[in-house]
Amino acid sequence: MGFHDQISSLVEDTQRSLAMFGPELTLCGTIVLLLLSRLILGDRLSSTLVAFAGTVVALIFALFSWNEIAGTSQEAFTGMLVVDTFTVFFRIFLMAFGVLFVIFTWRSGIPDKEDAADFYTLALGSLLGMCLMVSANHLLIVFLAVEMASVPSYVLAGILKGRRKSSEAALKFAVYGAGAAGIMLYGISLIAGIVGTVHLPSAGQSLANIMANDPSGGVLWVLGLGGLMIMVGLAFKLSAVPFHFWAPDVFEGAAAEIGGFLSVASKAAAIGLLVRMAVGFGYAEEPQHAEPVAQQAASQQALADQSPGTNAAAANPEDGVFVSTNSAQDGAQQPSDNEQENTSEQTPANDGAEDDGAAAEAPSEDAAHTADSLAPVRTYISYLVGLLAAITCTFGNMAAYGQTNIKRLLAYSTIAHAGYMMFAVAGALPLIGTSTSNAEYHIASLAFYVVTYLFMNLTAFAIVAFMRNRTGSEEISDYAGLIRTSPGLVVCFSIILMSLIGLPPLAGFAAKYVVFSTLAESGLMLLLMIGAINTVISLFYYLRVVKAMCLEEPAEGQQPVTFPIWKSVDGWFVLVLTLPVVVFGVFWGPLHDWALAACRDLLP
Amino acid sequence: MDYLPTILGAAVLLPLISFVVIVLFGAAMRKAHVPTNYIATGAIVGSFVLSFTAMCIWLSVNGMPEVHEHHAEHAEPHGDSGDHDAEDHGADDHAADDHAANSTPGDGSQFISLQDETTGGSSENAHHGADALADDWYSISPPGMPTIGIGYYIDTLTVVMFVMVTFIASCIHFYAAGYMHEELHDVTDHEVTLADGKHLHRPGRFHRFFQYLSLFCFSMLGLVIAGNVLMVFVFWELVGVCSYFLIGFYIERKSASNAANKAFIMNRVGDFGMLIGLAAVWACFGTFAFGDMEVEHEGEHVTQAGLFSMVRSGPHHEIETTDDGLVEVGPAIAHAAAGQEENEQNDATNTEDGEAEDGEGESAVGAVIKEPSNFAYGLLIVAGLGIFCGCVGKSAQFPLQTWLPDAMEGPTPVSALVHSATMVAAGVYLVGRFYPMFTPEVLLIIAYVGGITLFMAATIAITATDIKRVLAYSTVSQLGYMMLALGIGGWVAGLFHLITHAFFKSLLFMCSGSVIHACHTNEMTEMGGLRKKMPWTAYTMLVGCLAIAGAGVPFVIGLSGYYSKDAIIAQAISFTNVNPAHKVLFFVAAGGAAITAFYMFRLWFMTFAGKPRDQHVFDHAHESPKVMYVPLVVLAVLAVCVGWSIPMGTSEATGAEQQLGVSALLETARPVGTVDGAGTGVDWEVVYPAEADSHAEEIHITATMVAFGTAVAGFLLAFVMYGLRRISADEVAKQFAPVHGFLRNKWYFDELYHILFFKPTHFVAKLVARFDRRAIDWVIDGTAKVARKVSDTGDAIIDKGLIDGLVNLMAGWIYSVASWFRNVQTGKLRQYVLFIVLGTVVLFVIIEYSSFLGSGH
Repeated sequence: MGFHDQISSLVEDTQRSLAMFGPELTLCGTIVLLLLSRLILGDRLSSTLVAFAGTVVALIFALFSWNEIAGTSQEAFTGMLVVDTFTVFFRIFLMAFGVLFVIFTWRSGIPDKEDAADFYTLALGSLLGMCLMVSANHLLIVFLAVEMASVPSYVLAGILKGRRKSSEAALKFAVYGAGAAGIMLYGISLIAGIVGTVHLPSAGQSLANIMANDPSGGVLWVLGLGGLMIMVGLAFKLSAVPFHFWAPDVFEGAAAEIGGFLSVASKAAAIGLLVRMAVGFGYAEEPQHAEPVAQQAASQQALADQSPGTNAAAANPEDGVFVSTNSAQDGAQQPSDNEQENTSEQTPANDGAEDDGAAAEAPSEDAAHTADSLAPVRTYISYLVGLLAAITCTFGNMAAYGQTNIKRLLAYSTIAHAGYMMFAVAGALPLIGTSTSNAEYHIASLAFYVVTYLFMNLTAFAIVAFMRNRTGSEEISDYAGLIRTSPGLVVCFSIILMSLIGLPPLAGFAAKYVVFSTLAESGLMLLLMIGAINTVISLFYYLRVVKAMCLEEPAEGQQPVTFPIWKSVDGWFVLVLTLPVVVFGVFWGPLHDWALAACRDLLP
Repeated sequence: MDYLPTILGAAVLLPLISFVVIVLFGAAMRKAHVPTNYIATGAIVGSFVLSFTAMCIWLSVNGMPEVHEHHAEHAEPHGDSGDHDAEDHGADDHAADDHAANSTPGDGSQFISLQDETTGGSSENAHHGADALADDWYSISPPGMPTIGIGYYIDTLTVVMFVMVTFIASCIHFYAAGYMHEELHDVTDHEVTLADGKHLHRPGRFHRFFQYLSLFCFSMLGLVIAGNVLMVFVFWELVGVCSYFLIGFYIERKSASNAANKAFIMNRVGDFGMLIGLAAVWACFGTFAFGDMEVEHEGEHVTQAGLFSMVRSGPHHEIETTDDGLVEVGPAIAHAAAGQEENEQNDATNTEDGEAEDGEGESAVGAVIKEPSNFAYGLLIVAGLGIFCGCVGKSAQFPLQTWLPDAMEGPTPVSALVHSATMVAAGVYLVGRFYPMFTPEVLLIIAYVGGITLFMAATIAITATDIKRVLAYSTVSQLGYMMLALGIGGWVAGLFHLITHAFFKSLLFMCSGSVIHACHTNEMTEMGGLRKKMPWTAYTMLVGCLAIAGAGVPFVIGLSGYYSKDAIIAQAISFTNVNPAHKVLFFVAAGGAAITAFYMFRLWFMTFAGKPRDQHVFDHAHESPKVMYVPLVVLAVLAVCVGWSIPMGTSEATGAEQQLGVSALLETARPVGTVDGAGTGVDWEVVYPAEADSHAEEIHITATMVAFGTAVAGFLLAFVMYGLRRISADEVAKQFAPVHGFLRNKWYFDELYHILFFKPTHFVAKLVARFDRRAIDWVIDGTAKVARKVSDTGDAIIDKGLIDGLVNLMAGWIYSVASWFRNVQTGKLRQYVLFIVLGTVVLFVIIEYSSFLGSGH
């Protein structure tokens, strides 16, 4: 291939990729517009308005790309990114969050006029990074996207000028983030060194080959350590214990709006990325067969350099059988492969692979076999994520117990919820080995959880912010007796808190239910029990807030504020966000189906 | 037919809407002086109209029930062949006969059967219950688990119950508007004396009363339409909680709140058994659904068998056992077993009746159907007994009967609706609904429990002087009657009595309410001669008394109670003929009838006849307002004629005679496998004759004579003692002082339970509390700061009670651990960064040691 050809193919690829990059481009455009408008127009154009328009347009782009993408999985920018329904799902999610966030901050007034442009620039920049996180297809993009999402949020945490706690939170966040990023980068370099590529699908295949070739203990050690270190970076974004230390301080120090931003969008993107990574390493799309180790590097090099293209997914997710073109030939090779003689999936079906009649059967055997060599990898990731999830969940709930500050309480609550989300990953991953469609089904339960989590948590933080604007306090004790003066708000907040506990018939229950059913399905009974016990524990501290609002008397001489739910835009904002929590608790079928559709291309 | 579930569903939801509206706006409406009862009454009348429409649709689609000459064709060969009088071997013969007779195809036509147009009028359907509509409105099918849904099961029984419940509830809503009018304004409760000696003065709770009433109606209708046992359980609890609210309506009265608690707790005892039953059902069958339903499974539409088709797997829908004593369970997917023709027929019916699939069912994975395996016969008994336990609690059967009389603390309309006509009858209804699942052994236990209750409650009613308590014991006794009837195989007889009883008992309660409203007392010893003051009440109540006593001209015509009681006694004769060992059940039924007549007329004479016992009360008495006595008249008319069967000419299609009447309707709803009797006991020797046998001429005549004779005897005794006052009741009481005392004290059940349960529980609780305090003190001595914190928290709280203490103890521990965790969150940045590294290393070590790296391949 000549130089010219390469250039032209790159240009072509970039054009094609840009077409799929609509929402992100809109965000970039909005950021530029925000900065320029302040320079040129000054105060005449409200930054909030620009940000609002930008996010809405981005949301529309994201919604429109759903149909275009449906059923395919396309790589963009020379394989750096992957655009499939999973990406689009999270894009829609993030953009919808963006719209809500802009409305929320407009109402709560956290960016003052002077700061608004900076504030939204940072927030949208961070959102852009999150979009990249969920579409990352390349280990370097993983790192870059995480940093791109994180760095603006460090500044956002300190946006409250002149507040010591806020600045302190920002500094802690930044330093902690830097530390985590360093470890993650180290992990990436270790993994890349072993598998010989940074392109995620190729890395998965390469890993499959390595695992099939009975690697030495040392290699496994390095692989394990590398995986763990990458996990540290993700755990930092997820605020998973023991990498959560930044979270309570940041959540308390930063404004409640930022708390909402970090706990919903940031966490959703991180969990999306976790799924991408877990699937990338735990599942190899095309069966690759063992070759002498010497050849491997070369072949992987070739793979890494392979020209990016569209992999139309020829999957039949209904029964977990996928058809690959070179199956018959693979089947023929297999019996001669000594190293695989002793693996369990060696079946007579392979002998009949040359026969046309059995050809349809053979690929599934093949798939099972190759996937099998990755089975220990999946078990490892599942174990690691499950372990972290269990610790995170338990710790988050226990630590939330004694909190008196509502933001800190919610901070620990989000930590606990990160644990529940990770449960789903830990539960769905081992299922890949038996049925990919089943695994997709259960990854969908995670996507479902994330959506319901948006409504629950954003509303909780919105209420906290609106209450702060009225009382100037974020202590739970200042919510005492609120039921007398603002019954509507108390009802909404109680619904949100009950949903966070996971009580039926609210969305939180449905979400928790699908996640727990994932654990049950993959037989991780210990995790299931931990999850159940944690739910009980969480009951105490969530209900404590409800108790304060409904039963406790306000302190002497204090009158609880009035927050009429019907009469203010704030109230309506809370109400409109609470509504889905109730609706999705009862009619969660459609949403779950949508989440399912989003995950259908994940495991072609 | 397709609209039927929607119509009935709307009938269920209307009261719920009313409830929600009153909850939201009730207080505001009270301030604006808008009577809330309009909403509630409108809703329930709407439900009634919908239910009635549903019944009309049902009848027009299915045709009128047909009567076949069963005496000639079926009952005679063995019904009159003398086998009934024979001893044990005769019973065996009978069973064999039954079998032989029924193995001929088409033999089923001897009974009243529905002409089901959807399946070409095959009378087989009536026997399968295949003409029932069953599906889910909403369901969740979690991956790897069978579906759980909110569904419906509609057959003639459902429709009849709907009409009955909504009609009586409508009457009571009108009545209550008059009865509760005091609550419209501020109320001074003379029965509550505050610490300062004044009576309690509180705002009226008119809206709250109707709010609860609406919630109750919703729950009750939901219970009736429920398509699976789990849903039954949910609505079961809902009616329970409504009952709790309504009994404790006058919450400031100590007796009312105690009674509410008692009712609630006793029902929980029963529900505990029910939960065990549910667990057993789930374990055995993997589904809760009653009827067969069409679901999507592995990409195709299949019919999932309900409980009834699964358990009644035999060729004649009997419970089949394998050689090693296991129950043979039918296939979960009906058309998977192509060999079974009846299943295919179910399938065909359901395909036509099937509603649109719900969203969840259409997801790619589809419903998971667990294929149940055969299980021990004992487990089926456990399931049946467990479900029956719930019924014992709800229907106040022995030994959980004591809550119902106390429940009379609630307002009288509540007693009439909840505690006589509907909720307490729900236990009987569930036994009827769940009938195919009961083994003969369980049925026998049901019969004995019913018999004991019937007798005991009737005897207590003789000595009670509180007018509502007499009626309460009468209710318990009549419920016992129904249970007895169901337990001895009289499915139609029992449920027929349920319907007729609902009418006359609600009438009686409302009359007594009218009396209480007029006299402001419950004590009959202060009444007398009231018929002059309140003729409407007196004579409608007389109708009620006649109906419950089963008055009528033998073989010609009678009040509603005459028919249903006759049917029960006839069934008792038919049953004891086959099972002479259980002869006592017949005597209980007959004796109960006599006692019923006695105490009902005692009540009437004491209240309305003779001279006033308390002149002051008499002077102040007055007839109730129109809004109260018009419903009485309506109900009185129905109490007279609800038992009648109206000939409707002959069917054009089959030429059979058609009848419209409750019993004929119920006959069309007969559950699967009970046409030839409920079966033969495996563990115990008991044989169930077909219910149709009791229609045999000979039995029928005997039964009528027995019922009539006992009723007349009871009436005459009451007339002599209380009407003419020839025999002094006090004298009799003195003569039989021990018996009288025993009965007056309600067989000492409350005392017995106090000694048996209350005291030991208290004792054990105290003991354990003391032990705990000691033990924890001991722990405190030897522990450091954290443990001290824990025990401090614990110690303070154990005083409050054991349960509370334990829960808080747990909380305390968690709190301490959590506080300790909090200390890690130092806020020092240097440590945080250190923790990143530490965390990574520790995690690595953990994972390394859990051997995931070493043996990964």
